[in-house]
Amino acid sequence: MQDQLTALLAKAQAELATLKQRPEFEAAKARYVGPNGELTALMKQMGSVPKEQKPVIGKLINETKGQLQTLLDAALRQIETAELQAQLGPAIDPTLPSPDSGAGTSHPLTLVREEMCRILRKVGFTVVEGPEVETEYYCFDALNTPADHPARDAQDTFYFPDSAKFGNVSKKNHHEKYLLRTHTSSVQIRTMLKGKPPIRIVSPGRVYRRDTSDATHSANFHQLECLYVDKNVTVRDLKALLDYIFASLLGKDTKTRFRPHYFGYTEPSFEVDLSAKHLPKVNKEWIEIGGCGMVDPTVFEGVGYDSTVWSGYAFGMGLERLAMLLYGIDDIRYFYQNDVRFLKQFA
Amino acid sequence: MKISLKWLKSYVQLDASVDEICRAITFLGFEVEQVIRTGAPQLENVFVGEILTRAKHPNADKLSVCTVDVGSAGGVKTIVCGAPNCDAGNRVPVALPGAVLPGDFTIKQAKVRGQLSDGMMCSAKELTISDEAAGLLVLSGSPALGTPINAVLPAGDVVFDIEVTPNRPDCLSHLGIARELSAWFKQDLNYPEVTFTPNAADPAPREDLLKSVRVEAEHDCPLYTATVITGVKIGPSPSWMQERLKAVGLRPINNVVDISNFVLLEYGQPTHAFDAKKIGGQEIIVRHAIDGEKIVTLDGKERVLNSHMLVIADATKPLVVAGVMGGENSGVDDSTTDLVLESAYFRRQSIRTTSRKLVLSSDSSYRYERGVDPHSLEEATHRALDLILEIAGGKVAGQTLRIGADVPWQREILVTPGFINEKIGFEIPEADIRAALESLELSIVREEPTPERGPAMTVSIPSWRDDLDRPIDLVEEVLRVYGTERIPVSVVQAPGLVGDDDPIVLFNRKVTDQLVGQRFHECVNYTLRPQKELQAWASPTAVAELALANPFVEDQSHLRSSLIPGLLETLKLNQSRGVSVSRLFETGRVFVERDGANFECVAVAFVIAENPADRSWLKREATDFYAAKSLATLLASAAGVDLSRQQLQPVTQAHRGWQEGQAAVAGEMQNGWFAALGLVDLAMVKSLGLEGKVHAGVFAILPEKLAAGGAHRRYQPFSLFPAALRDIALVVDQTVLASEVQKTLAKLARAATGNAFSLETIEVFDVYQGTGLAEGKKSLGFSLVFRSSERTLTDDEVNVAFQKVQDELAKTTPYQIRK
Repeated sequence: MQDQLTALLAKAQAELATLKQRPEFEAAKARYVGPNGELTALMKQMGSVPKEQKPVIGKLINETKGQLQTLLDAALRQIETAELQAQLGPAIDPTLPSPDSGAGTSHPLTLVREEMCRILRKVGFTVVEGPEVETEYYCFDALNTPADHPARDAQDTFYFPDSAKFGNVSKKNHHEKYLLRTHTSSVQIRTMLKGKPPIRIVSPGRVYRRDTSDATHSANFHQLECLYVDKNVTVRDLKALLDYIFASLLGKDTKTRFRPHYFGYTEPSFEVDLSAKHLPKVNKEWIEIGGCGMVDPTVFEGVGYDSTVWSGYAFGMGLERLAMLLYGIDDIRYFYQNDVRFLKQFA
Repeated sequence: MKISLKWLKSYVQLDASVDEICRAITFLGFEVEQVIRTGAPQLENVFVGEILTRAKHPNADKLSVCTVDVGSAGGVKTIVCGAPNCDAGNRVPVALPGAVLPGDFTIKQAKVRGQLSDGMMCSAKELTISDEAAGLLVLSGSPALGTPINAVLPAGDVVFDIEVTPNRPDCLSHLGIARELSAWFKQDLNYPEVTFTPNAADPAPREDLLKSVRVEAEHDCPLYTATVITGVKIGPSPSWMQERLKAVGLRPINNVVDISNFVLLEYGQPTHAFDAKKIGGQEIIVRHAIDGEKIVTLDGKERVLNSHMLVIADATKPLVVAGVMGGENSGVDDSTTDLVLESAYFRRQSIRTTSRKLVLSSDSSYRYERGVDPHSLEEATHRALDLILEIAGGKVAGQTLRIGADVPWQREILVTPGFINEKIGFEIPEADIRAALESLELSIVREEPTPERGPAMTVSIPSWRDDLDRPIDLVEEVLRVYGTERIPVSVVQAPGLVGDDDPIVLFNRKVTDQLVGQRFHECVNYTLRPQKELQAWASPTAVAELALANPFVEDQSHLRSSLIPGLLETLKLNQSRGVSVSRLFETGRVFVERDGANFECVAVAFVIAENPADRSWLKREATDFYAAKSLATLLASAAGVDLSRQQLQPVTQAHRGWQEGQAAVAGEMQNGWFAALGLVDLAMVKSLGLEGKVHAGVFAILPEKLAAGGAHRRYQPFSLFPAALRDIALVVDQTVLASEVQKTLAKLARAATGNAFSLETIEVFDVYQGTGLAEGKKSLGFSLVFRSSERTLTDDEVNVAFQKVQDELAKTTPYQIRK
């Protein structure tokens, strides 16, 4: 019996180490320790073992059983490891490029717009939107632009035929024409008519001018405007806002200055110049960046605000111009060509 | 507009440097576009010298060695010179060592080909007084030796090219700008002395010169005056006048025309001189032109007029396009002896319309369009008469004929220093406020004390400042003169946010973030598109409705109805530049026609291009409709639309731009939104010159449907008991949509389980067509998950329910259960 057990163990040791597949293993396991297995057969012979040898043989059988189990466990581990290994491909080369395209990118105009909105939100401005198709009232009349003003000419502004209908752009007067807004100031009017002061908004958006396209002009471009209406708003507050915006966007070395100017919807009105010589491709001391002023009382009266109670300022600028300045881009058309080599530079 | 510094200096003392004057003009509110310097600059160490001797340079054929006497400036010098005219006896400009010539060229003692030279003799070009470079500038009139050269040369001028804002027509003149500068530099403004005084006793002009003036268009010409001058002698105008006109870019013509131009640029008031002989019938009629009437204007071009245009005519023909340009037939020429001088006030809209219609602009029309002060008309006329009599001789013959009236001007504005300081937010001392107003001739005519805001000042507004009408207008005047650079620095006063950003903004941010995160590049394309492109994507009705009335260029004539064409254009541009590109997106407005009206929608679209030319060492699976569906679902969810619960329909021919059988649509604006996704029409992609296939997706929604904030969410309890799974495969017609079958199956399953337990989910797990199935059929495999919230389900009860489903399917649907 003892010899048989030793032989069985030796045979198992030799065989189990060579097993590669799970079915082979299961078969081998059955052959050794299954109900009809060799060890089971030997155990059944226990009855014929003389009584005095029983404890010794019993112990031996148990030991053999334990050793067989260890061998089986080892064989199974080996097979499991081989199975996992089989799931793997060849070793990777970490220096090969991913076949998937690289990171996505936001357009530089989006980046600048969002950065400006972020800066303005910090000082209480919320972002509003309005329709790009507008009417003469919201784009011109309400902004104190006289009926014969050149900006309203069909030469400068895109109009729609009298018969055109826009289901979700409201008209103020039945007979007025639809047009493509020439500035985002129309959003100020819609906001003031809809709400009540105090108002603190920024309206970025697309605007249209009937103009030749070249390195600095584009058939549509983007503006960003701020409007603040409250009691006792002053020119000094306006200057403080612009100083804050441009120092935040372009760095502390940036300076602004106001030059008196004329706009129909503000009084007094100013053009804003920037001094930011640390930016790329800036070779002038002062660069014009936008227009601003104190909301004209006529505009307030037009939207039903008492101009002796309410005061406010407005500021507007071109986003392309700002992006060009910020990144040192010298042709506005690059924004609209979307050459991926261009788009990838700003993320 | 060009303004000469020399000219300005005849009205106001300006000692400041050119840079300071530039700055003043800028901060007064006029953009200086260019500063042009003419004539000789201020030159040190350049003197008058006389060439005493000239000898050939021993080492150079073309050079001479001269001795030059510069008198008191240093005696006789030896100078090497290359000019052909360095002859003895010529007096020329001599730059001695230390002189700095224009172009930062410093003169030093130097050896020229071995010969010591003590300086340089100069040409006119080297001194930048003309382009003459052929030889030395020979000075006429024997100026004394050693005289500094600037004392001999005509002084240079500085010309500012200024942009005048439309509210300030008064500054379209030298006097206007001089007035502004006088305020800035706190100097007096000296008006030209006008001496002409009309004599009320004078008779009417002789009938053989000017019989009558008639105004038939009073609305467009409220005031017209005509003065007859006889016995003038036409000739060149004096050199000082020519010099001024030339400085600002005008060509001198003759004395009378030059005077008219001079007064225009001095006062901003147009006048026009007729040759009295050329006025047919000796009648001047101010009338509207007859449609089709013609006139050849001074620029030699024939102009066809219409009945909205104002002309100055004689008995038979138009002489002048009123306020715009004179005719060739009536102008002053060398033989003119008798003049009729016109001064008039024309309505600005009338002049503007005419000028635009004729595409003809002049110094005169430019000023009329922006507004000429009718109350200054008389003074300017008298100034012109003074100059004519002084320069061209002759005399005023009879009364000035005057049609229309000058409505007397009076305007006063009441303002307090308190009001001004409240508006600007800092304190300008009362004395500075007074000084600023007075310096602009805004005189304070009365004052009354107020309890808190300082004296209430009644400010009288001069007639040329029609732009000033309200107290706020004076705030700007004071601030301009005080200086906007003196606005004190301060910190933004910011309260908390009063609202959230617009839902459109939130939507755009969300989809942009998502698509950038999915490796898309954001593009920005033009809104205005060519008609041809639109026709490929929208119905003929929509194309018609989306057209502009006045496109600027043909390929930007329509509003875009989709963002995808722009993205395809971007793909094309990149491919043609050899730039590998696949995933692009754009957000922006699109315009959707529905039932004859257009709707402006907020939209987002993406494209995924697969260019077979793009190679990769590791192949990825091709993109497909379902990838586009997944992305479109993501985008719709940003707008609160759950695309997975919407019926997607395969595209039909009506859905232009998409490949039939490979793309789908949903929404169709029934609830204010639409989605379209799938393969872009292969033929169109090919016709655009694009390589490979393009999958795309778009989601658009009316802005008003983008509600702020989502619906309130509530927790739904879920069962912790085990699920029972059953699979079933149904054979259906190939054209039947999976969603339909699923809906039917789900309904039957719910009916079968009743209230006992529930169908938790139902999913398609297999789609098969081919061997084993009849032609035109497909098999859809569904996996049903049943569960109870109260107990573990037994196999038996699920089997009973599942059998019921199968029985019902056989009984009520054309679907066959696949065994």
